[in-house]
Amino acid sequence: MPESPRLLAGTLDLLILKTLSLGAMHGYGVAQHIHRLSKDALRIEEGSLYPALRRMQVKGWVASETKRTPTGREARYYRLTAAGRRQLAEEEDLFKQSVAITTRVLRGSES
Amino acid sequence: MTPRELLGRITAWWRRDELARELTAELEEHVRLLARDLEHDGMAPADALAAARRQLGNIGRLREESRDAWGIPALETVMQDLRYAFRGLRRSPGFTATVIATLALGIGANTAMFAVIDRLMFRPFPFLRAPAEVNRVYLRTTYRGSTNANPVFPFLRYHDLLEARRTVAAVAAHSEWRFAVGTGDASAPRKVVGVTPSFFEFFDAPAALGRYFFAVEDSAPAGVPVAVVSHRFWSTELRSANVIGQRLKVGVVDYTIVGVAPRDFVGLTDGAPPDIYVPLGTLPANLGAWSQESFRTDYSWDWVQMIVRRKPGVSTEAVSRELTSAYIRSRAAARALNARVLPDSLVHPVAIAGPVKLAAGPDAGAESRVLLWVTGVAGIVLLIACANVANLMLARVIRRRREITVRLALGVGRGRLVAQFLTEAMLLAMLGGIAGVVMAQWGGAAIRAMLLPQGTPFDLATDWRTLGVSLGCAAAAALLTTIGPALVAARTDLAGTLKAGAREGTVQRTRTREVLVVAQGALSVLLLVGAGLFVRSFVHARSVPLGYDARPVIEVVTDFRGYTMDSATAVVVRRKLLAEVQSLPGVAAAARVNSRLFGTNTAQLRVEGIDSVEALGRFNFQITSPDYFRVMQTRMLRGRGFTDADREGRPLVAVVSDAMARALWPGRDPLGQCIHVGLGANPSAATAPCTTVIGVAENTAQQNITDDPRFMYYLPVDQVAPHQLSTMYVRMSRPDARGDLDRIRREVTRAMPGDGFAVVRPLQDVVDNQTRSWRLGATLFVAFGGLALVVAIVGLYGVVSYSVTQRMHELGVRVALGARSHDVVRLVVLQGVRPVGIAVGIGLAIAWTVAPRVQPLLFRQSAVDAATYVGVGVTMLVAAVLASAIPALRAARADPSAALRSD
Repeated sequence: MPESPRLLAGTLDLLILKTLSLGAMHGYGVAQHIHRLSKDALRIEEGSLYPALRRMQVKGWVASETKRTPTGREARYYRLTAAGRRQLAEEEDLFKQSVAITTRVLRGSES
Repeated sequence: MTPRELLGRITAWWRRDELARELTAELEEHVRLLARDLEHDGMAPADALAAARRQLGNIGRLREESRDAWGIPALETVMQDLRYAFRGLRRSPGFTATVIATLALGIGANTAMFAVIDRLMFRPFPFLRAPAEVNRVYLRTTYRGSTNANPVFPFLRYHDLLEARRTVAAVAAHSEWRFAVGTGDASAPRKVVGVTPSFFEFFDAPAALGRYFFAVEDSAPAGVPVAVVSHRFWSTELRSANVIGQRLKVGVVDYTIVGVAPRDFVGLTDGAPPDIYVPLGTLPANLGAWSQESFRTDYSWDWVQMIVRRKPGVSTEAVSRELTSAYIRSRAAARALNARVLPDSLVHPVAIAGPVKLAAGPDAGAESRVLLWVTGVAGIVLLIACANVANLMLARVIRRRREITVRLALGVGRGRLVAQFLTEAMLLAMLGGIAGVVMAQWGGAAIRAMLLPQGTPFDLATDWRTLGVSLGCAAAAALLTTIGPALVAARTDLAGTLKAGAREGTVQRTRTREVLVVAQGALSVLLLVGAGLFVRSFVHARSVPLGYDARPVIEVVTDFRGYTMDSATAVVVRRKLLAEVQSLPGVAAAARVNSRLFGTNTAQLRVEGIDSVEALGRFNFQITSPDYFRVMQTRMLRGRGFTDADREGRPLVAVVSDAMARALWPGRDPLGQCIHVGLGANPSAATAPCTTVIGVAENTAQQNITDDPRFMYYLPVDQVAPHQLSTMYVRMSRPDARGDLDRIRREVTRAMPGDGFAVVRPLQDVVDNQTRSWRLGATLFVAFGGLALVVAIVGLYGVVSYSVTQRMHELGVRVALGARSHDVVRLVVLQGVRPVGIAVGIGLAIAWTVAPRVQPLLFRQSAVDAATYVGVGVTMLVAAVLASAIPALRAARADPSAALRSD
């Protein structure tokens, strides 16, 4: 099995925020979504989602509530707050800029 | 960190256990779902679960990471420091116990003293609205050099002072008495306070039941007998029933209960809270017909206290000024009624809007001042305790400097290190504080009993003012004791200490510790000098010849409680009662008296050949029955005492004190001389007949024990007031009357007619009250001074002992070089005695400097008394020698071969 690429440092938050911008979901749902969209190409330790969610919750980007799942079990659903949306926009811009800069440097030309 | 995040962290930290549980549940749910999906993809159930767990990662680390999001890093650091401090203290229980005990003594002393002076002087009365605006009125006069600021004055004077309306927003009067309350078996003497209806408007204290008084219920002539009972009286004596409208007998008057005051309402009463409040104008009905008739028209009787609320923005000085002019007008009105009211130029009358608390007011007397001094002393004890603890901590830091150096070398910041010391000190101080509060609560019982009026509530656990002060003391102690170790830690030289030779550098630190010993010693000397001076004052006061022996005597005050008698019956009843008391078992003698000890009275006195007897001083009289001199054990120096034959219709006779005889008839025989007394049937001395002196008694202290010139004369009750005098002095055959107190009260009450009853107290209590301020000073200074001495000497022992351990090597070398053991002992003892010598010098110098301020509190005792100073110095030095001798003897056994081998 070929080594799948690691997540760039600091991008996990971005991915989580982006995922939650689609709607409220529980932790497992977030993990599945990232897996699906990245076509299982990203190797993340699924557990690390949870500390990240906790951090974002304390910062007020994410709120959570306990809801019943369609299968009738209790689960914690996370959703984006207004502050979370602002943060997502900001991080998206930052990420795009940093990718652009990094790409430019890697290309080795000044354009 | 944004405020929002901080808030989020705090809430999360608060709910951390719950959050941890939630996380675990969530992680488990994740594993379950993942395993289910993997199974769905065709994996065996057991493999799926294992794979799911693997994919999730390290659960322990995840928890740690999540937890980082909860709480505040600084708080975490503090908690970590606390845990570190706890571990460190557990490792050295001896050190911990010593420090906690030392601080507990210091903090406990301050807690107890603050609790006392706060209750006596500062704490506003419960429910009092805007206490800063309220003043009590004191009327000050200065006559013949002695100043008297009296908070109690005639009702009519209060009425005159109501004129001061420009600066005063509200006025109330109150007057406190003890009356028998209730009927039959339930009747007992209780505190009854007469108040104007405006009194309750000074408080934010709505009645718990019913109402307070209407203005009309306190109107002339005698008001309406309605009563408000205290919450405690209502719940214990009246069983919380709906008592509105019920009858309650107070003294001789039937009152109707109209209200119940709220719980904890005490009005303006110190000590045991009152049980009953009644309209002021209804009180005199219980004090005899004369009082009732005259209180609105006569200035002769002081019984009312007055409080005022200042108008907004008005200073106390402005109020005092306005009250003073009203007071002067009032004195003029009094002079129009009675020409004997002295002119203002002689007495300098001033009204003062002063503190509501009597003990903080201008009338407070020596006791309050002694208490403030002792509170200062408690502060010094805390300083000494801090110095001692700082010393111990310093020693500990020095012992641990290897560990500290290693930690510094490993990159621990010095700030962090200081924070750790502070945490440790705080922890110790808080533990010491808790122990101190417990000590003050349980061990301070003696101080409390000695200082506070009986019945004053004293529960420190719910007393936030006092707990705040204890906390403040503890925090101050923590800061003070951290400075030393922090400096050492900050100055620790990494390279120097990491090298093996630990001996250099210690000299400097021993010096710091010696400075602390000097400070402790000097403060202890100061306290011991104070102790010495107060003890000597007390001894002087106790050895003043009183001219009587009060210990076996019981003071019995009889209250006939509305049992109405005409004069003729009263003569018979009172004589019979005295005879019955005299025949009680255990009674050696009994006499009726008019004036109670230290509550003397004067009358107009004229002696032929002397222009003004009053110019010679104050002449007090006592009216007694024949056994008086036997009861008091006052010796008759010349002539005879009274007999039953000295009664109405017989020639008038008197006994005078030796001092009075010498003042009135110097060089002449006092027996057979005439005095003219304006008293009873002959109110004017100018027309009073001759009373012949038949005896000279030894001088007795009746007015006060200090500057009383002992001018006393005695008149036989049967010739002056056979139907009056409700006080008896009863001498027991046992040397101490206390054991018989209650029996005598019961027996006398039984012998009295109707609902009458007796109130008793040992006469010695009255005498002891006179020497109280010196006894207080002596007891508290000795207690605190002794404490200080012990703490200081233990501190010294610690320093010398430590330095001996440090110098063992050097001492061994000295012995090897031929020093004899007594040389070593001398060396070490001198090292210990030197700082104490310096301390004695400094302490005595401070004592000498503050001496003039203590002088007024002492009794026939110079505040710069050489014997006291020398005695304290010698005590201190001897204690220092003893404290150094133990380590010195150890030093003398220094083993030279061990010293030489170790190099």
